[in-house]
Amino acid sequence: MPSYFILVPILLPVIAGILLLVFPIEDARKRNICIEIIVVINTLLVLWLLTHRPSESFYMFSLGARLPLTLNVDGLAMFFAGLVACLWPLASLYAFEYMKHEERVNTFMAFYTITYGVTLGVAFAGNIITMYLFYECLTMVTLPLVIHTMTREARKATRQYLYYMIGGTAFAFIAIVFYSLFCNDIAFVLGGNLNLAAISNHMDIALLVYVFGFFGFGVKAAIFPFHGWLPAASVAPTPVTALLHAVAVVKSGAFAIMRLTYYCFGTEALHGTWAQIVVLIAALITITYGSTLGVRETHFKRRLAYSTISNLSYILLAVATMSPLGLIAGLSHMVVHAIMKISAFFCAGAVMHQTEKNYIYELDGLGFEMPVTFVALFISGLSLMGMPLFAGFVSKWNIVHALLEHESMLGYISVLVLLYSGLMTGIYMLTIIVRAWFPHVGYHKDLVEDFKDPNWLMKGPLVIFSVLTVVIGFYAQPMLDFIQKIATGIY
Amino acid sequence: MDINNYFLIFPVLLPIFAGVLLMFLKFGKREHMQLYILAILIVDLASVGWIALQPEDTLTLSQFFIAEGLHVFFHVDMLSKIFSVLTAFVWLMVGIASFEYMAHEKNEQRFYCFYLVVGGVLSALAFSGNLLTMYVFYELMTLTSMPLVMHNLSHEAIMAGLKYLFYSVAGAFMVLFGFFLFNAEGRVLYFSPGGIINEANPPGIMLFAVFLMIVGFGTKAGMFPMHGWLPTAHPVAPAPASAVLSGVITKAGVLGIIRSVYYVAGPDMIKGTWVQYTWIILSILTIFMGSMMAYKEKVLKKRLAYSTVSQVSYILFGLSVMQPVAFVGALMHVIFHSLVKNTLFVSAGAIICKTGKTKVRQLVGIGKEMPVTMWCFTLVSLTLVGIPPTSAFVSKWYLISGALDSGVPGLSWIGPIVLLISALLTAGYLLTISIKAFLPGEDYNYAKLVNHEPTWRMLMPMIVMTALAVILGIWPAGLMKIFADIAASVL
Amino acid sequence: MAFVQNFPFFCIILSMFSAIISFVMNGRIAKYIHVAMVTAVLILSLATLSFVAGTGESYTFMMGHFPAPWGNEIRIGELEALMAVFFSLIMMLSVFGGMAHIDREVQDSKKNLFYILLDLLMASLLALIYTNDLFTAYVFIEINTIAACGLIMIKKQGRTYVSALRYMIMSLVGSGLFLIGLTLLYSITGHLLMSPAKEALDQIIAVHSYQVPLMVIIILVTVGLGIKSGLYPFHTWIPDAYGYTTPSASAILSSLVSKGYIFLLIKIFYRVLGFDSIISSHMVNILFAFGVIGMIMGSVAAIKERNIRRMTAYSSVAQIGYIYMGLGLGTTAGVVAAVFHIISHGVMKSLLFLSISGLTEVSDGRSDYLSLRGAGLRNRIAGAAFTVGSLSMIGMPLLTGFISKYLFASAATTAGNKMITAWVVLAISTVLNTMYFMRTVLTLYRPVSAEVHKEYTLEKSKIERAAIIGLILLNIGLGVASQPVIKAIEAGLAMFG
Repeated sequence: MPSYFILVPILLPVIAGILLLVFPIEDARKRNICIEIIVVINTLLVLWLLTHRPSESFYMFSLGARLPLTLNVDGLAMFFAGLVACLWPLASLYAFEYMKHEERVNTFMAFYTITYGVTLGVAFAGNIITMYLFYECLTMVTLPLVIHTMTREARKATRQYLYYMIGGTAFAFIAIVFYSLFCNDIAFVLGGNLNLAAISNHMDIALLVYVFGFFGFGVKAAIFPFHGWLPAASVAPTPVTALLHAVAVVKSGAFAIMRLTYYCFGTEALHGTWAQIVVLIAALITITYGSTLGVRETHFKRRLAYSTISNLSYILLAVATMSPLGLIAGLSHMVVHAIMKISAFFCAGAVMHQTEKNYIYELDGLGFEMPVTFVALFISGLSLMGMPLFAGFVSKWNIVHALLEHESMLGYISVLVLLYSGLMTGIYMLTIIVRAWFPHVGYHKDLVEDFKDPNWLMKGPLVIFSVLTVVIGFYAQPMLDFIQKIATGIY
Repeated sequence: MDINNYFLIFPVLLPIFAGVLLMFLKFGKREHMQLYILAILIVDLASVGWIALQPEDTLTLSQFFIAEGLHVFFHVDMLSKIFSVLTAFVWLMVGIASFEYMAHEKNEQRFYCFYLVVGGVLSALAFSGNLLTMYVFYELMTLTSMPLVMHNLSHEAIMAGLKYLFYSVAGAFMVLFGFFLFNAEGRVLYFSPGGIINEANPPGIMLFAVFLMIVGFGTKAGMFPMHGWLPTAHPVAPAPASAVLSGVITKAGVLGIIRSVYYVAGPDMIKGTWVQYTWIILSILTIFMGSMMAYKEKVLKKRLAYSTVSQVSYILFGLSVMQPVAFVGALMHVIFHSLVKNTLFVSAGAIICKTGKTKVRQLVGIGKEMPVTMWCFTLVSLTLVGIPPTSAFVSKWYLISGALDSGVPGLSWIGPIVLLISALLTAGYLLTISIKAFLPGEDYNYAKLVNHEPTWRMLMPMIVMTALAVILGIWPAGLMKIFADIAASVL
Repeated sequence: MAFVQNFPFFCIILSMFSAIISFVMNGRIAKYIHVAMVTAVLILSLATLSFVAGTGESYTFMMGHFPAPWGNEIRIGELEALMAVFFSLIMMLSVFGGMAHIDREVQDSKKNLFYILLDLLMASLLALIYTNDLFTAYVFIEINTIAACGLIMIKKQGRTYVSALRYMIMSLVGSGLFLIGLTLLYSITGHLLMSPAKEALDQIIAVHSYQVPLMVIIILVTVGLGIKSGLYPFHTWIPDAYGYTTPSASAILSSLVSKGYIFLLIKIFYRVLGFDSIISSHMVNILFAFGVIGMIMGSVAAIKERNIRRMTAYSSVAQIGYIYMGLGLGTTAGVVAAVFHIISHGVMKSLLFLSISGLTEVSDGRSDYLSLRGAGLRNRIAGAAFTVGSLSMIGMPLLTGFISKYLFASAATTAGNKMITAWVVLAISTVLNTMYFMRTVLTLYRPVSAEVHKEYTLEKSKIERAAIIGLILLNIGLGVASQPVIKAIEAGLAMFG
């Protein structure tokens, strides 16, 4: 398998999207079929690429003396790319149905597809400068999606999104420059490749730079106090919120932090330093904050956004333990949360699409009229809460393992914080379900009588994700084995 | 024998499937539905009974692994048999009694769905062979019993249901902390008599974990400070639900504590530590507080609820002093209190159902109108107060003598004193009802006597349970032998 | 002496000559003369560059066979040749990019004046780049100022007069200070030619005499040139100057004029005063401080602006702050970054101003945000150009702005205790830049109902389009293939002193 092939699944969606912008297809059905075919082909290409890994990385060109642009398929790349590739076709189906009644759908779907390619670019980046390039492109390419409805709210949210993102990458940039100057080789290597001898007298500066990088990339991963863009971005159409803000964009942030910590600076250099404590505490604060605010929030999608904020910091918490177990835990929660959260957002989207109701208190009794949707939401909620026999428990268990490995006080406190977060999650997810299925006496049945579940385009992905959640919850060992192999560097 | 092992699942799955199926079935006449339920409950009791008759420790089901280290494991030992038989028997009795009561409520079919499901889950809980399995079904029990509390869907009922949910989930997560901590060291926490951890000099964090487990399971058992849900849930739930909630579900919490302390951590680990002392203090506090609140309470079901809080803490007290005799007393009180409380609630249900009276002061002279009901009420009240030769007297006697013998400085004699005071208070809050019911005084209008006696469907279970409560008090030897064996194995 | 070595001299003479001839020509012929001249200068400079890169050392060129130290000479090294190439390239593209506008906006009777001014500007820039004599530098500084003033005023409009006046006053103050500094320098060294002046200064410094005068010279020269190039807090003339004139003029003014002065400053630092004395006088720290403040304040002012031209002008203030920050780091790497940014900013800013003109064209000729809504959809090329320019400004990889940022950041790592400040300010400045540039981009693509703006039949000027696309490609090219340029700068700096 020649290594330049890695470029193909990145470029294909991008070019397709650009073509769609230049030559718009106005007939919705034709357009949807074209897009879905391209997305599915691309996913198949990715999966083929993952099973026939090229043995070396692909060098494109250099931006400067120390800034080569390379693509590579290592274990972490496989994982993230695989996740994204499997979710995108389903999400596209959902988007077709959801956007049926909106305007300017052609532009929307074009940028949606381009985002696919760019996200794969982030996944397949072979070093930090390549990743930075695609990371910035990801921000730019998702702007039209967030601003799509062009309402005042949307524009404001997009500006906020933009400023936060660029602010984050501006500080991450410092880490990139530093690393490019003080590394042995800029390519990603598990265990890091920092030239420790050269910076031994200035370790504190290096740690400060790492913290800049962590928070810089952490903006995409909604770390406190830079999380503000995520709830605001809920104004975007649900396909955007679901895929991008539950999966692609935010997971890119977590992914970037994993690369920075495990593949650039290296956990040996970082473990036990004040930098580790800072990032750990930041993750803990985010978890607490996100979970607590989720309870107060009454807007359905914003509630889920707060849930995302706290769940992402589960991943960051795991990463912050700076150990192989931590990487395993982070990866497992990355995939599990993606499935759970995209399912939850799709449910919210189904409700909004069918009923135009945005707020929790409007959902009384809806569970009987839209059973599939609410069963899926129930499963997602139980999984998010950490109920055993659902996927969420498995990843939480992994995270706890990583936290308790060194028997430190901070580890125990972290576990308690996780449990608190689970309780809060239970509260804010289950109250929705209770309202939907146990409406209080005197609710107006006639108000909800006409609503029903969405059609197969939206229902299908929902069902698939719920089934996945339960399957992983019952039988998680294969997934864990695979992650184990990545973390120990076999790939 | 393989087939027999799989039979273990039968009393779990049968009610669960029957309950789920019930949601979709349509019955022409109410009596058909009642027959269906009756059949399921009888078969359930029979199967549980058959399992109980098998030789000890032969039935095990251990095929099912979620992942390495996450083992869903069933195992039948003596303790399991006792709990499962008690549960199935009570379920049948209360089930029969509930037919008449629920005929006056709406949505009775939905009630019975969850009623059956909870029954199955409780069997699974009893048969759990390790902490993870127990935790799974503990959470499931909370989720499926919540609709029972919320049944009449008034605003208070929903709030009470949610309060129940959140207290229980909080308690469950406390248990989870212990699970995580102990599991992290690679141990799978199979229940073994005398404990599986048995750390000689446990570090503070381990003690803290065990303490959290006690408080966590204690939530279901209504131990201070997590008792708050009980008095709120009982008045709004239908009487049959209150009956099983007080009578059986609280004992699930007790089971959890027994398993955590005696079968996982090991009594030696916490004997003499702050954990034990705090536990003793909390249970004594609850005993006293529960009785006081019951004495002052004017609403009948709420009074019974506080009584439960108090009585279950008798059991917890007996467990906390870690002495064989007290242990026996505690287990005996499990059985006796269960029978007694169920009878009390069924009769309260009869009163509410037939006369609509909920407050104590309204019950003046009701003994004339419902003689059989009130005779049962009185007999079991006497039992609960602890007048010889009634059953609760036996259990109290054992509790007290075990406590005095236990060697815990100071606390071991405070306990008996509090128990005696509580007995007085119990007399105060139960016997006064009986007295007023049968001897209403001069002001009573004898002319207005109407026969409100319920039908045999409600009377039969009451009489059976009363009889059992009385008989087992007179001839407790059989039970005592079984309990003494268990005590010997764990202490 | 190779024939090639005459080329720089030819360039200067050619541009002066074009200016003189165009006096008697009409606008059209003047235009052709100018275009021919600029193209010639570009080609000649390219040839010079390859020659000097080949030989690897700089050479001096005597003017008029009068040897030093009495005659005049110019010195040509790799850095100077590189600057000449880029200046001429940017001027050419800017003129092409605004040619149709010049034809429309400038009065017929004044058209040849416009091109004369451009010729003079080219001449003075080349002279500033190549000169080795302080007084010549002063003369051409004045010529540059006057030419720039003329360019500002060329559109007959109320505001331009005021802007030009303001510019003139501030600029002349700057020139005046420079002249005084020059005079002082002459009085203590007795030389006007740079190299002998340096030798004399070295001796003076070695014996620690004239310390106060030296300090005063440094301050006067730096402040003088700082005022003229728009260093904070002497930047107030910039928004007015760049904001109202014809697009080519804005492009050239912001990209080239101020940079000529900065280049002269660098030259004086290296070739007369000596970089060490600059460092020991703490002038670098002051430059660093003001550069940093300028970076922030320039952007803050830009955020508040509602007029896109003034906003872009304020952005120039910030970018000039970047350059001074680079100088203020006090290391060679910092100067390399600063020089690269001169080039990079030139490319970015011309692109922005030219695209702005395209955008305002389809918005009733107005340049406030409200009118510009959706302009990107009406004039696709201008919109794309503005987007590319903005992305470059905020440091998107694959564009030249990213390379500038990278160079500044890596230069900062060797700058001791200025490192963290530089990094943090760079990051903050990026965010601020996003706030006004990307906000504008979002406005440009906001769809508005069709009735709002009249249908504009774009005067499809092919040349303008080609120029804009050329600048976009240059932007990307520098972003992707910057290595040769950086190497040339480094080599040039090595032979600069």
